[in-house]
Amino acid sequence: MAEKPLLSVRNLTMIYKTRKGPVSAIDDVSFDLKRGESLGLVGESGCGKTSVAMALLRLLPDNAQITGGQILLDGTDLTQLSEDEMQHVRWKRISMVFQAAMNALDPVYKVGDQIIEAIERHERDIDPAEARRRVEALFKLVGIDPKMADRYPHEFSGGMRQRAIIAMALACNPDLIIADEPTTALDVIVQDQVLRELRQVQKQMGMSMIYISHDIAVIAEVAERIAIMYAGRLCELADAVEIFKRPRHPYTVALMSAFPSIVGEKRPLVALGGEPPDLLFPPPGCRFHPRCPRALDICKQQQPPFEDIGGGHYLACWNPAPMVEVQS
Amino acid sequence: MTTAPAETAFHIQEPLWKIRLRIAWKGLKQSWALFTENKIGLIGLGIILFFGLMALAHPILMHTVWEPNIYDPFIGNDPTILQHPSPPSARHLLGTDPVGRDVLSQLMYSTQSEFILGLLAALVTVTIATSVGAISAYFGGALDAFFMRLADLINILPFIALLVVLTAFFDFGMIELALLIGILSGFGGTTIIFKAQALTIKVKPYIEAAKVAGGSDLHIIFRHIVPNLMPLAFLNMMFTVTGAIFSEAALSFFGLLNLRMSWGIMINTTQAAGYLLGGWKYWYLIVPPGLAITLLCSAFYLVGRALDEVVNPRLRRR
Amino acid sequence: MLKYIANRLLQIVVTLFIFFALTYFILDAQPGDITLQYVNNPKFTKEQREALRRRLGLDKPAYVRFFQWMGNTLRGDLGESYQYRKPVMDVLLERAPRTIFLFLTATLIEFFVGYWLGRVLAWQRGTGLEYGITVVGAFFYTVFTPWFALMMIYLFGFTLKWFPIGKFLDVNLWRTAPKGLTANQIFINLLVTMTLLAVALVVVYYLTRRMNPYRASLIRWSALIGGAAIAVGYWAASPVAKYAGDILYHMALPIIVLTLINFSGTMLLTRTTMLETLREDYIMAARAKGLPERVVRDKHAARNAVLPVFTSLIISLPFILGGGIITETVFSWEGLGLTLLTASTTGDIPLVMGSFLFIGTLALLAHLVADVAYAFLDPRIRYA
Repeated sequence: MAEKPLLSVRNLTMIYKTRKGPVSAIDDVSFDLKRGESLGLVGESGCGKTSVAMALLRLLPDNAQITGGQILLDGTDLTQLSEDEMQHVRWKRISMVFQAAMNALDPVYKVGDQIIEAIERHERDIDPAEARRRVEALFKLVGIDPKMADRYPHEFSGGMRQRAIIAMALACNPDLIIADEPTTALDVIVQDQVLRELRQVQKQMGMSMIYISHDIAVIAEVAERIAIMYAGRLCELADAVEIFKRPRHPYTVALMSAFPSIVGEKRPLVALGGEPPDLLFPPPGCRFHPRCPRALDICKQQQPPFEDIGGGHYLACWNPAPMVEVQS
Repeated sequence: MTTAPAETAFHIQEPLWKIRLRIAWKGLKQSWALFTENKIGLIGLGIILFFGLMALAHPILMHTVWEPNIYDPFIGNDPTILQHPSPPSARHLLGTDPVGRDVLSQLMYSTQSEFILGLLAALVTVTIATSVGAISAYFGGALDAFFMRLADLINILPFIALLVVLTAFFDFGMIELALLIGILSGFGGTTIIFKAQALTIKVKPYIEAAKVAGGSDLHIIFRHIVPNLMPLAFLNMMFTVTGAIFSEAALSFFGLLNLRMSWGIMINTTQAAGYLLGGWKYWYLIVPPGLAITLLCSAFYLVGRALDEVVNPRLRRR
Repeated sequence: MLKYIANRLLQIVVTLFIFFALTYFILDAQPGDITLQYVNNPKFTKEQREALRRRLGLDKPAYVRFFQWMGNTLRGDLGESYQYRKPVMDVLLERAPRTIFLFLTATLIEFFVGYWLGRVLAWQRGTGLEYGITVVGAFFYTVFTPWFALMMIYLFGFTLKWFPIGKFLDVNLWRTAPKGLTANQIFINLLVTMTLLAVALVVVYYLTRRMNPYRASLIRWSALIGGAAIAVGYWAASPVAKYAGDILYHMALPIIVLTLINFSGTMLLTRTTMLETLREDYIMAARAKGLPERVVRDKHAARNAVLPVFTSLIISLPFILGGGIITETVFSWEGLGLTLLTASTTGDIPLVMGSFLFIGTLALLAHLVADVAYAFLDPRIRYA
């Protein structure tokens, strides 16, 4: 922990104001991200993963409100910046690979022009020819024919669009890329290719990455550290190997058991009863307690602290699973 | 053992219609909650209710307060007033027209027929557009091509020009006009909207399920597709009412319709008698009917827009 | 593209044919037309009546007469107007430019005003301003046109005397006009000027479409103002400036009224489609790229929202032209619409058919032009 983290999220709390009342979408979320590091954020849909991504870029819908906490990027608190200052953080410092890449490109402009638009926004005096050369280089990097820069989005296949989106995310050489389920819309083979390319480029350029997915198998391929999110809160965060080998939170244990290992021993599949809570009325105490097989009385009353239990392994649980080495 | 399931089923289940009614009621309540969020829609609804009350009040007033031979909208005349038109007074709240008839009475009387015209035209439009749209979407092929080309054809006709010519050469009353407007807009643009919507319903799993369960084509169309087009139909009715009332008023204004009384005719009478540019003095002859047409058209339009936000989730704020 | 246009032209011809067949047979079926009045005149003997019927072709079946009429029409002969005792073609050729000029100008202004306001409206969602403009817009959208036009004439023409009342020119002024100068020449020349201006603006728009919106809108506005200045300068310097000015002066109020009536439809639709577009992922992406709100709004959201708005304009073109009957009547603007109405009420069937032909053809051609223009707006459309 000697190195100063690039990104430090401290007790981030966000609500959506709705007709029925406030929805607690992110509650007291904290994590650090080092330069060049890749963090995986896992959770089932609706748990607030995407909200975290949007909060980092401050691209929240009108009814969302950050009610507490800090997002420190190199020591600057993004929650305190003006909209104008924030615009200069977007894409230049933090860029994003979108979930629905199919629709993330404006249909009426050429793909190359849309990337140049981002470059010109952040590098005011760049020579148009230079910007153009950069787009072609980026296209080569992600494996698209540079000539495609003059085509419209509807002329791209799904995989190509996703690659173009990645090229766009890299265009301004950001410090951090957020990838929000970038491959869910693609077929499995293309998915794998894109994933590998993304990881390779990220390492090559020394950028940090937050990779968001509901699919722990995908995360395992790209992330060095993994954070598990449930109902707006983080429940466990540790090195990828640690999470897979020694999961402690009952929710993580359940997730891991749902991820079958081909080479390892057989393990029982832990089926979770019930459904994720309604965040309009989140359960008191630990939000996982209604579904937790190890729930105690305290779990129903008090929120467990999110603490380091040693070696950078963070956990929020009153009654963690015993430390058993899981073979894999 | 054989009777047991049937008996339990009997005890658990309410009659089907009760369940349906409850679901419909619940949906209605939800839609109403969404609708009331929009003040604009409530304004529209308020105006419609106001005109509805006017329409209902006219026969009552005629039977109680108003003396028929003075206040009759066609042949009434107030002999105590020497010069017609006369400005608003206690006896005639909106004055009298050039022939000595009470303006308020005419205005209220006409409201009924505007409602009948608008709703009839809307009903015809929606009935045609729903069935044709659903059938086109469901069967596709030549039938679909035919109806869509027909809709294109009607779409590019200058609608008002056609109405002008038809009403000029034939005797058109309120009902005939409502039917004509209904048929033209039913087979025209509205069908295209309904077909597009029906296409999205057609690919839903429950349609597939109904087919597998052996539902006939007609059963699927009228039991599964058409009911799901109803919200859109209701929304579209509002816009058709606006169009119908407007067309009637315009044609009456030209004196092309064979009607005894309507808001358009009131303006036409005023214009024909030469009081139109007679100065602000005669405002009571032209402002009430003109404003009534505008307000009622606006009201249906505003309700339609508010319904649009209920029916179309993409327009909702959250 | 050419193939598409050819296809559409063919479709237009077929549509017009069906349209005319329908109108012809419907009018043929109506009781008490003008020919029957002659035929049933009791002063005529039976033989004379038969002779007249033969001469007017009434003894032949309707479809034969229809094809005769169709054939004559193709040769440019629309028959003779009962009312004016002149060839229908002459009457209509004189009146068409008035309608085209009035509606082209009004529609262009209406579209840009409505589009611009709708954009603002979507951005002001939930504010008092939005409610205010929506209610006012709904009022104009549904206002009873003749009534509204009459009130406007009364206010601006009668009370304030800012604008002339009725007709499209000042008869006294035109008595002094140089020999050979007709109002029609002016109309046609104005039409040409405006078309050139519109084409130039479209070209400028097209060339600046990928620029930064600040710079693009600067260039577009200067092009608009510069172009308008050149056009005004050209006309002011021409010897007929006085007469052209007279026509434009008479046109001002109808254009204001038409714009007020029609802009709100475009405005309200732009608002709706903008709100839908704002939910698209590419708008989120544009924001994520750090683009300023105005660029997101104008370059991305509005640019995509214009597509359905333009489509709806295409669809409403025939309606606008048809609705022109009302405006032309109220303003005594002797264009195609007023001609159709008076011909209909006086039973002048050749003129009815003729003006119907003109209005129908105009509506269809406008439709086609707008359709082709749409292909330039939406790169996904390729008319192949």
